[in-house]
Amino acid sequence: MSMDITADTIPSALPRSDSDRAATSMRRLMLAFLVMGFSALLVGATIGPLQALNYGGIDAYPALRPLLQSYYQGLTIHGVMNGYVFTFFVTCGLLVYLPARELGVAPNLAMWRACFAVMALGTLCVFYAMADNSSSVLWTFYPPLKGSPFFYIGITLLALGSTMPLPILLKMRATWRRHRPGEITPLVTYMSLTTMLMWGLAGVGVVAELVLQLDPWSLGLIGTVDPIVNRTLFWLTGHPIVYFWLMPAYVSWYGLLSRQVGGKLISDPMARITFALLMIFSLPVGTHHQFSDPGFSSIWRGILVVLTMSVATPSLVTAFTIGLSLEYAGRLRGGRGWFGWFSALPWGDPSVAAQVLAAVTFILGGATGVVNGSWQLNAIVHNTTFIPGHFHVTVGSVTAMTFMAISFWMVPHLTGRQLVSRRLALFSVWTWFVGMTIFAIGMTWAGLYGVPRRAWVSALPHETYHALYGMASVPLALVALGGVLLWVASYTFFAVFFGTILFGRRTAPPPIPFAQSFGGPASSTIDSPPNPAQSASPLIRALDHIWLLTGVTALATVAAYIPILWPFLHHVTRAPGWILW
Amino acid sequence: MDNNTGMSPFEAAFHASAERHERFWIFGVLVMLVLLTIGTMFYVVHDYGLVTGTHSYATDPQAPAREAAFQDGKVVRTGPNAYAVYVVGRAWHWSPDVIHVPEGAEITFYVTSADVLHGFEIQGTPVNLTAVPGVVGTVRYTFRHAGLFRILCNEYCGMFHHAMVARIIVDPAGTP
Ligand code: HEM
Ligand SMILES: [Cu+2]
Ligand SMILES: [Cu+2]
Repeated sequence: MSMDITADTIPSALPRSDSDRAATSMRRLMLAFLVMGFSALLVGATIGPLQALNYGGIDAYPALRPLLQSYYQGLTIHGVMNGYVFTFFVTCGLLVYLPARELGVAPNLAMWRACFAVMALGTLCVFYAMADNSSSVLWTFYPPLKGSPFFYIGITLLALGSTMPLPILLKMRATWRRHRPGEITPLVTYMSLTTMLMWGLAGVGVVAELVLQLDPWSLGLIGTVDPIVNRTLFWLTGHPIVYFWLMPAYVSWYGLLSRQVGGKLISDPMARITFALLMIFSLPVGTHHQFSDPGFSSIWRGILVVLTMSVATPSLVTAFTIGLSLEYAGRLRGGRGWFGWFSALPWGDPSVAAQVLAAVTFILGGATGVVNGSWQLNAIVHNTTFIPGHFHVTVGSVTAMTFMAISFWMVPHLTGRQLVSRRLALFSVWTWFVGMTIFAIGMTWAGLYGVPRRAWVSALPHETYHALYGMASVPLALVALGGVLLWVASYTFFAVFFGTILFGRRTAPPPIPFAQSFGGPASSTIDSPPNPAQSASPLIRALDHIWLLTGVTALATVAAYIPILWPFLHHVTRAPGWILW
Repeated sequence: MDNNTGMSPFEAAFHASAERHERFWIFGVLVMLVLLTIGTMFYVVHDYGLVTGTHSYATDPQAPAREAAFQDGKVVRTGPNAYAVYVVGRAWHWSPDVIHVPEGAEITFYVTSADVLHGFEIQGTPVNLTAVPGVVGTVRYTFRHAGLFRILCNEYCGMFHHAMVARIIVDPAGTP
């Protein structure tokens, strides 16, 4: 992507992201983020299928002692490694690297390294606490279940580390804007920045929970904690985290995919509106995870339903914009008729196939999400296998497959090594797609029979399992089948991923496939030709005032949470901890 | 939108048509969401469906579980065709673990926990209420059919969470 440099227009003191030294350090660091992230997924995805077998009635855990003491220890590791470690590392790499290259401005490397180090230390602490079975509290760690201090301190470090890209991004954007007054933030940077701002605000909930309550509690500095207050603080972050999982995938869909399929992004403004809406709507609605809890007024629940439904808007806009961008490319490639454009897409490119298939699974993910968000339907599915069914066709497919897709071009880009096998890469993403779809259909369907999530059902006596869940035997068998396919898919993927890093044939590193939008400039680097004819609409210019956006979001969140937390803070329960595993 | 990159005729035409469809799509999306929202709200207002409420809070997390009603685990008649049932979740059982209620009566469940969070789920019904130590939650439900129902725990509570099962036996209307 390096546009030829017109060095005289740029002061030489400016740290440029494509100067040799900066570029090499950035590549190394980005690769480290990817390797850490996918190693965590390797652990998580090894355990996931055991859980799927569990629901199918097959109990593999006795055979796994002493490696795993129980289903719940494994499930804690699965949730933490996949949900936090995998996603945080890949995202904190991508959302610095991509903007740096888009802007042509070097990031603050020391800060980016610190981000890596803090999260790595956090991972080490949590992993230690999970491995010795001292903290089988699951990834939501609801008190008064009480894990070891290493667990909570590890999560605290992970959470804090994951917000460190924010200052890096702000600094790069400021540098860029100093040199290009009057222009609006380039798209990938804008999307990355709104994601990190959203996450920075969202993190306040869980960091408050950890720093004010769980960390001192686990260290013995305070004796008791309040279960409902902490649960509410958790979901203040726990809902937005799903957007922290989703938005980086959208960055790739909006910012890169159109180029990868050989076309253009049909609407740059729609991408910005989507990200602004995601940021605003994701924060105030966390308590929709607590529809079944005591303590919430019915009026408040009604408001939540409306707000939650609103969150669907940006995703439906995304479906339109991305769908149309794909259609444009498909037609350019000679696709005709209603669906011809779809089959004309470059399906032989594993990175394209993974992202398009991920988008297809999101139809199921979005539909089940609307079910969860509807209060009365939520009562039927709450804490049944319907819920993990839903989020494996969001984070387990959209995020995971898009990150896999990114690795297919990015590992060659970073290492100068060719993918070891395009065919195996394609095989892995198709198998993941089929496996995850079967798995999710099984899980959501079984949930309608009231099969509870997070339950070691295969350890029940055989008759009990059948008496309780016999009527769901078909969907539960699908769950197990999907799980086995996912094992095959993930190990094939890891063979390609690690194989490429270690043994890929040397090749010229491919450029980053930054997409051009209709009417947009070919490049937005700091030294590219100015883009004065930019005629962004007033709305888009307004959305570029990120602090305004942040302020509005913060205000909406405070307004949403004061009426909720107020009564809880007036009825504090002092609960001591329990270790029950 | 201006451009300094030059659009091909196909690109320009596609762009124009995209912008038209975009407005149409966004309008459609908004209408659909409004209808969905009204739909769920109507359902709620119409029979108000299932609502979890709060009966009381206590500072001592075990205090509610020590109250007589919860200790006895009795089914209390509160009206001509209304009953109150008091259930405590403890790692890893519900008490009482067998509950008889009559078909067609309005049952109010009072649920609390004596230790950690539990999830009060009656399989095959929408009844779903988090059992929180120190808090007494409520949920109302009317069983329309006689038969056996199971209370499962659907909030993780430790090693034998999956075995935390109790029974509700709904007796046919008319039996004493
Ligand atoms: C390799 C394929 C995978 C399989 C077969 C799998 C299977 C499962 C199953 C069966 C559960 C439910 C366990 C239960 O409720 O008892 C679960 C939970 C979960 N999975 Fe996965 N999973 C996979 C991949 C992923 C990925 C890629 C992610 C995220 C990036 C993910 C994140 C989670 C989370 C956060 C939970 C919730 C854990 C909890 O309830 O405490 N999984 N998984
Ligand atoms: Cu949510
Ligand atoms: Cu329980």
